[in-house]
Amino acid sequence: MVKVNEKIEEELQAIFSGEVPWITIVWDDPVNLMTYVTYVLMELFGFSKDKATEIMMKIHTEGKAVVSSGSREEMERDVARVHEFGLWATLQRGDQQ
Amino acid sequence: MSDLQKGFYPHGDDAYVANFSESEREVLTNLTEQIIELLAERIDHHSDDPLAAMVGITSHDTPPEDEVLLRLLPNAYADQVDASEFRRYTESTLRQKKQGHAMAMRTSLKTAIDGVVEIDRNGANDWLGAINDVRLALGVRLNVEENSPEELQLLKPDDPMHGVYAVYSWLGWLQESLLEAVMNGRQ
Repeated sequence: MVKVNEKIEEELQAIFSGEVPWITIVWDDPVNLMTYVTYVLMELFGFSKDKATEIMMKIHTEGKAVVSSGSREEMERDVARVHEFGLWATLQRGDQQ
Repeated sequence: MSDLQKGFYPHGDDAYVANFSESEREVLTNLTEQIIELLAERIDHHSDDPLAAMVGITSHDTPPEDEVLLRLLPNAYADQVDASEFRRYTESTLRQKKQGHAMAMRTSLKTAIDGVVEIDRNGANDWLGAINDVRLALGVRLNVEENSPEELQLLKPDDPMHGVYAVYSWLGWLQESLLEAVMNGRQ
């Protein structure tokens, strides 16, 4: 019998329940125009203009915001797409925020 | 009204048009070429496996030493080991995509007729991304992290950064005009 600690158990559960433990964070910077950040969020993540504006304001005022969550592979794809358009994004486990 | 003061504006269903003077086109072309050159692959590793290189895997996994390049190709993880691994598999592709945006912008500048640049929706995304990369690069040189817009506006005309800031601001204005044209068209 394999010994499974709590951490691994959580991980396994996440895999089978489709729970999504990784997140993509976009960071504030002084160069990108507010309109541009809004546009990139709409274009890459399919947000409405209102939703994208709300997230952009959160980035602007709080320094960062979560823009997506999913598997690690999905978040790596999201980060790469965000970097292509010059916003700075990182990914991390959602429980380590 | 002069078109020069308009920047980009929508033209029909899926086109955006701007009218540039010859000197504006020269400045823009020059900047896109500098970005293309800057993003060329690092040649500091000669032992790259050609097959790995073909699929976009490179042996360099350290962040670029150049501050501008680091801003264009940032770390994807706070953790250095994860960041290096990610960089090894993705940096080459990111360079190519950014170069692609700049090359598309350069082509539409070169093929402008009477200074009129006409682009479609995809072209607009290339322009937006490429203008942004230029602004990120200039922003590092202007140290916009530390210097406020007010301070930058007060630069003396004989300060070389005075001209750089003028271009940086103009690009912001141009990008904003294109964003407005594209976003109003989406509604």
